[in-house]
Amino acid sequence: MGCIILNHVEKRYGKDKLSAVQDFNLEIKDGEFLVMVGPSGCGKSTTLRMIAGLENISSGEIYIGDRLVNHLPSKDRDIAMVFQNYALYPNMNVYENIAFGLRMRKLPKHEIDMAVKKAARTLEIENFLERKPRQLSGGQRQRVALGRAIVRNPQVFLMDEPLSNLDAKLRVQMRTEIIKLHKQLGVTTVYVTHDQVEAMTMGNRIVVMKDGIVQQVDTPQRIYSSPKNMFVAGFMGAPPINLVEGKLLEVSRGALEFHTRKYSLAIPDSQSKKLIDKRKAGRSVMLGIRSEHVHLDPAMRETNPHSQIPGIHKLSEFMGADLYLYAEIGASQLMTVRSNIDQGSRENEKVIVTLDMRKALFFDLDTGENLLHDDDRMEG
Amino acid sequence: MKTTSAIRFSGLWRRRAKPFRLTPTEKISAVMLVLLSIFMLMPLVYIFNNALKPYQELFNYPPTIWVRNPSMQNFIELWAITKNSAIPMSRYIFNSVFVAVATVVLVTGVSAMCAYPISKHKFPGHRIVFGSILVTLLFAPETVAIPRYLVVSNLGVMDTYFGHLLPMVAVPVGVFLMKQFIDQLPDELLDAAKIDGAKEFTIFLKIVIPICMPAVATISIIAFQDAWGNTETSTLFMQDETMKTFPFFISTLTSNMANNVARQGAAAAAALIMFLPNLIIFLIFQSKVITTMAHSGIK
Ligand SMILES: Nc1ncnc2c1ncn2[C@@H]1O[C@H](COP(=O)(O)OP(=O)(O)OP(=O)(O)O)[C@@H](O)[C@H]1O
Ligand SMILES: [Mg+2]
Repeated sequence: MGCIILNHVEKRYGKDKLSAVQDFNLEIKDGEFLVMVGPSGCGKSTTLRMIAGLENISSGEIYIGDRLVNHLPSKDRDIAMVFQNYALYPNMNVYENIAFGLRMRKLPKHEIDMAVKKAARTLEIENFLERKPRQLSGGQRQRVALGRAIVRNPQVFLMDEPLSNLDAKLRVQMRTEIIKLHKQLGVTTVYVTHDQVEAMTMGNRIVVMKDGIVQQVDTPQRIYSSPKNMFVAGFMGAPPINLVEGKLLEVSRGALEFHTRKYSLAIPDSQSKKLIDKRKAGRSVMLGIRSEHVHLDPAMRETNPHSQIPGIHKLSEFMGADLYLYAEIGASQLMTVRSNIDQGSRENEKVIVTLDMRKALFFDLDTGENLLHDDDRMEG
Repeated sequence: MKTTSAIRFSGLWRRRAKPFRLTPTEKISAVMLVLLSIFMLMPLVYIFNNALKPYQELFNYPPTIWVRNPSMQNFIELWAITKNSAIPMSRYIFNSVFVAVATVVLVTGVSAMCAYPISKHKFPGHRIVFGSILVTLLFAPETVAIPRYLVVSNLGVMDTYFGHLLPMVAVPVGVFLMKQFIDQLPDELLDAAKIDGAKEFTIFLKIVIPICMPAVATISIIAFQDAWGNTETSTLFMQDETMKTFPFFISTLTSNMANNVARQGAAAAAALIMFLPNLIIFLIFQSKVITTMAHSGIK
């Protein structure tokens, strides 16, 4: 059973310092691929190192399998870890690097040999078992590091930004290989990254952290479409979500409008109802809308006559299949539109953007909380 | 610095297809370095030649550097002199070899075992410990001779090999060098080993020491040279003649011979014998030492 349970886990460095990790509650299921993501310094590595037993826990409990591991040394936790800088033993060749953990566990020679060969075959590194780490490329080194992890058959893999030292292309390739490896072995994996694309593509579930506090734990789809707060909405997704500040006005009973000095946008009834329930009518809020829910298509204008903003096409970024168009909709306020390459306008021409208001999110200005977030499941 | 010049050099190679075309600055520094190395080499050449000069040549005027008729006469003479001493020379040599080897092993071991926790286990007070080790670098050896004598005599290790070894074991430079080196090991390396199930001592022995071989080599050379040439422990702590070391024996010979024109040849031979092991040890470890210099920022 490779499940991991974190119960009110805290980490404080020094005596009265701020916590690096605060009240972390999470249950990671057996065989799950969990990704922890967040900006630099948010406590991802610290959390991972606490699970690994490389860092003491200030308070709380960690269970791996069914064992309380708070005071168990790393080597007895039945885990393997992959580091960003590979951390291969430079004095040993690839074979010895992979075999080291097994030798430490005093396995018989032929078993070690078989296990190493098998791991090497899985990762396609059989051809350089004799080489020293410095004679390998970055990608090959990371494979060896993975080999060192899988050879021991642990209950849990812990990976701390294992791909961030690789170049973009190799990163994508290794990403799919790690996913494949996870499918093949089915070992519970906790994967730390600051790259939201990695998080989205790899995770069964994602933990978004900020300043040592868990912001949201959910599937990639829900993190993206139903973020718990403004931070999660802004952190996940590229290009970043569009945010516009404005006021909620009740135009008729049960119908709200999002109002700024320049334009107003009709809010669909179901959303209006929730916002009114939260007593937000008449209050200022932040509207968030992803670039793919903003349209330039004239056909959209007819179906959504009350959610249009006039703007000026300021610049566009060619992304291959897509084009990101930045429309100025207010004083130094740009709205990103994900559109086709063959959209009509040129730079500095007038455009009308249409918002798909059913997909709009509304955030509390003070707390950043997503006012439409439905807490239909409990976390932790 | 080494790499940049290497890159520049390979660039030169490709551009002009002539490897030894150098810029004026490089030419000048090459000449300077050659001159300097000749200058540094002189004593070495002199020691070798003197030892091989037959008696008459030693007193030629004007003195010559190169030997004309090399002979083993001086060594034979030295052998003859030592045969007359009460204790056979082999005993002194054995003492010296044993003490030198044991010192090298102890010093590298102790330096590494001291540096590793200071560098990688930030226990409370590690700064103070390291600071006080560095402070001891400030004391000239002479200033601690008397306290050292008291310690050795109170420990009751006079006239034992411990009397030779213990005063040599603590080498602050060794600890410093080792720490600088271990500092550069990424913590993740040790974490990985911990997760792999290695105990602290295994990590030290199987990972830290092998990676720090250059530092170990450097410290070995320093320790060997200190121990091999050392007469102080024999003079101060050994009353028993059988416990004294070879350099002490040589120094008594040569100091007795100082005014003795007849024994200059034997003295020259002794000087070579004293010097040779240093040279051999250095040549063996030399390439490793250079990487230490590149690593530790001492260069
Ligand atoms: N040994 C330490 N002593 C004191 N503070 C520390 C220590 N290690 C980490 N911290 C602090 O704890 C916080 C979390 O650090 P952590 O390394 O977990 O961040 P991270 O999310 O992994 O960031 P990154 O993406 O940059 O790796 C940071 O504010 C950091 O300054
Ligand atoms: Mg980190």
